[in-house]
Amino acid sequence: MSDQIQLTIDAIPVTVPAGTTVFDAARMNGIAIPTLCHQQNETPVGVCRVCVVEAGGRVLTASCVRPAENGMKVSTNSEKVRGARRTLLELLMADHPSPCARQRQSNDCELEHLATLEGVTAPRYPRRLSPRGQDDSSLVIAVDHEACILCDRCIRGCDEIRHNDVLGRRGKGFNAGIAFDLNNPMGNSDCVSCGECMVSCPTGALTNKSVVRTVLPGEPVEAEELKQLHYFEKVSGTFLELNKNAVVRRHFRKGEVVCREGEYGSTAFYILEGTAHVFLSAPMAHVQTGGGATGLFSKLTSRLAGRQQDRREGENERRKIPIDASVDLPYDNPVAELGPGDLFGEMTCMSLYPRSATVQAATDCVMFEMLRNVLDIMQRNKTLKAQLDANYRKRALDDHLRSVPIFSSLTEEFIDSLRDRVELVRYNKGDMICHQGDIADAFYLIRIGFVKVSEVYPDDDLVLAYLGRGGYFGEIGLLGEGRRTATCTALDHVEVVRIHGEDFHRMMEEFPDVRQSLELVAQAHLEQNQQRMAVTSNVPLNQFLTQGLMEAQSLLILDLEKCTRCDNCVRACADAHDGVTRLIREGLRFDKYLVATSCRQCRDPLCMVGCPVGSIRRRNSLEVIIEDWCIGCGLCARNCPYGNINMHPFTVMVDSPESPGRRMAAIKQKATSCDLCTEHAEPSCVYACPHDAAHRVDPTKFFSAVLQQTVTGT
Amino acid sequence: MRIDRTHRAWATATIIALVFASIVYIAYAVRSPGGPRGGTALGLTFGIAGYALMLYAGLLGARKKVPVWRIGRAQTWMRGHLWLGLLSFPLILFHGGFAFRGPLTAVLMILFFIVIVSGVAGAAFQHYLPRIMLSEVPMETIYEEIPHVREQLRDEADELVMAGVEAEYDDKVMLREMYQEKIRPFLETPDKPGAEPPAEIFDSLRVVIPAAFHPVLDDLENICEEERQLNRQIRLYRWLHAWLLIHVPSSIALLVLGGVHAVMALRY
Amino acid sequence: MPGRSRTTKKLAQRIDLNYFKRLYAIPSWRRRLSFGLVLVGLLWLGWEALSGKQRPYNAGPVSHAHALLTRNCTACHVAQAVFGRKVTDQACLTCHDAPAHQTAQTFTPVCMDCHVEHQGSPRLASTRDASCTQCHRDLKTDGKPAGYVTAIASFDGQHPEFAPLRPGHTDPGTVRLNHQVHLKKDLRGPNGTLVQVKCADCHPREQADIVPVNFEKHCLSCHPLQFDKRFVESVPHKKPDVEREFMTAKFTEYIGAHPEEVRTADPGDPRTMRPPLPPARNAAEWIARRIDDSERLLWRKTCKECHTLNFGPGSSLPEIPKAAIPAVWMPHAEFGHRAHQMVNCAECHAGATKSQETSDILLPGIQTCRTCHRSGADFADARCSECHLYHDWSKEKKIEGKFTLLGF
Repeated sequence: MSDQIQLTIDAIPVTVPAGTTVFDAARMNGIAIPTLCHQQNETPVGVCRVCVVEAGGRVLTASCVRPAENGMKVSTNSEKVRGARRTLLELLMADHPSPCARQRQSNDCELEHLATLEGVTAPRYPRRLSPRGQDDSSLVIAVDHEACILCDRCIRGCDEIRHNDVLGRRGKGFNAGIAFDLNNPMGNSDCVSCGECMVSCPTGALTNKSVVRTVLPGEPVEAEELKQLHYFEKVSGTFLELNKNAVVRRHFRKGEVVCREGEYGSTAFYILEGTAHVFLSAPMAHVQTGGGATGLFSKLTSRLAGRQQDRREGENERRKIPIDASVDLPYDNPVAELGPGDLFGEMTCMSLYPRSATVQAATDCVMFEMLRNVLDIMQRNKTLKAQLDANYRKRALDDHLRSVPIFSSLTEEFIDSLRDRVELVRYNKGDMICHQGDIADAFYLIRIGFVKVSEVYPDDDLVLAYLGRGGYFGEIGLLGEGRRTATCTALDHVEVVRIHGEDFHRMMEEFPDVRQSLELVAQAHLEQNQQRMAVTSNVPLNQFLTQGLMEAQSLLILDLEKCTRCDNCVRACADAHDGVTRLIREGLRFDKYLVATSCRQCRDPLCMVGCPVGSIRRRNSLEVIIEDWCIGCGLCARNCPYGNINMHPFTVMVDSPESPGRRMAAIKQKATSCDLCTEHAEPSCVYACPHDAAHRVDPTKFFSAVLQQTVTGT
Repeated sequence: MRIDRTHRAWATATIIALVFASIVYIAYAVRSPGGPRGGTALGLTFGIAGYALMLYAGLLGARKKVPVWRIGRAQTWMRGHLWLGLLSFPLILFHGGFAFRGPLTAVLMILFFIVIVSGVAGAAFQHYLPRIMLSEVPMETIYEEIPHVREQLRDEADELVMAGVEAEYDDKVMLREMYQEKIRPFLETPDKPGAEPPAEIFDSLRVVIPAAFHPVLDDLENICEEERQLNRQIRLYRWLHAWLLIHVPSSIALLVLGGVHAVMALRY
Repeated sequence: MPGRSRTTKKLAQRIDLNYFKRLYAIPSWRRRLSFGLVLVGLLWLGWEALSGKQRPYNAGPVSHAHALLTRNCTACHVAQAVFGRKVTDQACLTCHDAPAHQTAQTFTPVCMDCHVEHQGSPRLASTRDASCTQCHRDLKTDGKPAGYVTAIASFDGQHPEFAPLRPGHTDPGTVRLNHQVHLKKDLRGPNGTLVQVKCADCHPREQADIVPVNFEKHCLSCHPLQFDKRFVESVPHKKPDVEREFMTAKFTEYIGAHPEEVRTADPGDPRTMRPPLPPARNAAEWIARRIDDSERLLWRKTCKECHTLNFGPGSSLPEIPKAAIPAVWMPHAEFGHRAHQMVNCAECHAGATKSQETSDILLPGIQTCRTCHRSGADFADARCSECHLYHDWSKEKKIEGKFTLLGF
């Protein structure tokens, strides 16, 4: 190199190529200048000023951006420099949530390290008053804006190194901070979870989300090996290294169970080799009350009990049980097969839903088991997405379409013609899929996740339905006036199959019976919605509302002036439901009535959100029922705001795990909620009340007098 | 069950039946040569009718054991139990011609009297007490679960007191001591007479204890109030159900011995 | 506002879902007491059964007469069929004869219809009115005319007036008596004393009831049957021939002791208006004269005061019709004066003080009875069985006793 320049750093003469920064010059010669914002592989920006040195100028200069000059006398450690650096660190530390996440995780927060070196312990300056907050939306990276020192290292990593261009700056002054896309939460941004920003961050502002604590069983997968898989092509090596524990290779021998339904898990599986069977092992029983009387006596008594056929209206409409994989299970024989390249357990992994089915290795299998950060990385990968799409199109689309009863008559050819025309679209939690009043241009089938269908009114939203896997929406707009009649929002990680308007109309033309049944359903929905609107426009009342009674369609109330607390209702309920009560004689009071804890058939049934197998659902008459294939995960029970769903153990016959083919008794948890004793004319609790105290009523109608009175009274 | 207007039909039917039975009885008692006795055709009819009604009334208990059977709404049975059970008494009096001289018949009549009196008392309890419970025990829970609920209330109170409130150490200690001394014993044995802390204790505590703890005190007071109400509930509930301890055993004994009486009386 | 919030879910989750399956104090005590009470009852019956007594099933104390049979149910409850132990008439007829009531009756009840045992009643014979009125309310006979009113339902109802008091009935008695005179003040009594006669002087009650009037006991002290001044004693109150004999004997005895009197002049008799006669020629004539005198006195005066004397042709002795004073006025009923002794006689027999005619019937009317004997708790019993008997005991047959003393 011809353009060599000479300078002295801390009295040491050094020679460096022209254009070298003072920082680099010092570094080449073994003199370390402390810094925060500067990193070797990124363009220096000089924002933190920690690397200041005395270079003979009027003021101190940031060594990372100051090019070395011939004859320059640089002092990196003079009293003045150290004073300035101390003050800088003190100022930064004043605003730093020490110890920050990084310091806690790996004890390597650069800021805190420097501060310790410089002896900055108790900053003399007050903290800023306005909090900057945290962003927990990403699955792999925790964002703590409080710990951010605005060094811009992450921004440069995202933009310069990865060219993802997601990260940027936002705000000014106190409000300045890093931002994803247009200041979206990280999880909702276009971030592909490559991990570069996190690797770049000097403090706890961007940290890896606690993967370290989970140690998966199985052989760890080296980052290098992962990078071989094209799904991980663009992911930062350091990041993969950090997530080493989050993905393992597992070998399953034939017959081994990979995961069991109802279990809680946090991993997804990707099949490398071999095939696996996916099925529901929970016997379909007991959520409905067993009617199977065997002995003469029980036959007689069951006659007395007046049980009509124990089959609910619209029970077997579905031929498929939706599960957390790329296939659905047939109702009659809930078994399906998965092969190499299939990914399953996504919902469990992404939204922490319970496992929806049991997977058993059909041959010897090799799988990757991964935590959701890795899954997220994978899913954000375009190659994989394309492959999953293809898989879905190839295998699941017709099942999926046919699992909706009204589409069951579609012909093979038609579905084939759809295959390449449908789109798989992914939505994040909170995303709006379509908006009331928009032009209707597509029909949607839900593949993963839950969608809230609501009508928007000036005061409030009215939730019409929660649709889960296998649900469909958008037909009313397409069939009707061409505008959306309701707003559909993703409640969690949602994937939908989008069928274009033209295709839908073509389907309608080709299959008039499908059109007819769709129209019927659409008509019924419209009518119900209108009815409910009429009811809801009634008098709002504080207590009535706070107890959520307005939300209820049917309440079990006990007239406390008549009730002698004899508990006959509870016993009757237990008697009618194989010995477990679906009713608790406890709750809040309204007027002189006790609103007993028993399913209220909410207009907005929160319980239905998240059922991994779509077992809890609504009948056409809007009653909430739990289907027999409940796997007992208990999610609905937790979701119900009124404690009306309870988990009960039932003894059921299952295949013995030791000797397949043998049946044995096992205890299985199942969710139960009031089924209104549909097989009887009247709920058993009401029927069995000797004191005329228990009633099942429509609250708005029943209490209308009370409500009216209160209103006029006040 | 509450005796309200909906009972009118039953009451009328019962009164009509009673009047009819009385007319028959009076005519029979005057004209029968041997006097009104259980053994004559009419006496026997009264006896059978009375016993049948008793049996029906007694079946309410059995019917309650099979609440799901669709054999008539439980409240219909209950109304029947009340009114027909009541009607059985005059019928049995007619059966015996108001005289019960034998040892067994005397025992039966005493039992029957106990059954009717306790039943009427029970009906009165069931008529009035639920309303009292409604107004006096807004925080009532399921009686059987009261001990269980109480454990949870105690834990809740313990947690409240132990929970971190930003306050001086001394104040925390004071609150805990006050709690241990004045309130905790009540929560420990809420049904022990005299354990209940006086209502003013919270007012005086509020003066002593700094304002930061006042929400905690409010909650503790609320918990104590709940305990107090549960005490009240226990008392009311016992009234509401203890009469059955007399009514049910004596009616079962009445039915069994009545059966023996029927067999033996038909024999002799 | 306390920070504690009560929500349905929180409340519900405090509850153990299986609480209702456990047995709590009240239901468990209910169960125990039910079981216990039934057990006590059955043990009692069982104990009695084991000790061979059937006491608990006793429908009530038996009548006094049958008290001995209390422990011996089978004495009356004779085994029938397999299980039945009913009492039939045979059981009663073992010890009791029960002659029929009337020959013309169309219906004969079984014993138990009227005689109800186990009522603790002292007398089985005192039956209820209904026993009688079941027939007498509307009496049917088997063709023969009924001698009675055919519709009697009660004593204070349709019961007819007592037969002697009904129109057309008279006192059949032939002895003349004026009750008014006898009950006058200061009546000359025996030995010339002045007396006030009381009812009981003539109608005294001996033991059970008032005895019939007897001449010697009740009349003689005031009405001596003196036949001659020579004797203080009366003739016996017998038939005329007996009296003549008595007198003959008396005079014969007398003249034997006083033969001088044959010779004395015979003065006239002012009582019979007989003129004086010369002395008798012999004793026989004297006796004949005396007897004639005495008989003249008796037949024409003394006896005639009460009796009617008929002199038939061919006989010197008068014929005296029977007194025919009814001893019992109501042949089908019983009345006891003893039970009524607390009542002043005149209260019922009000006519007695004014009665002047023999034919006056002084039997009180049914209305008099009804002042006390009426239906109603405040009155004396008015049951049929108070006065009437059902069985015609005149036809009673003898019973062969079957019990032995060891049986008791």
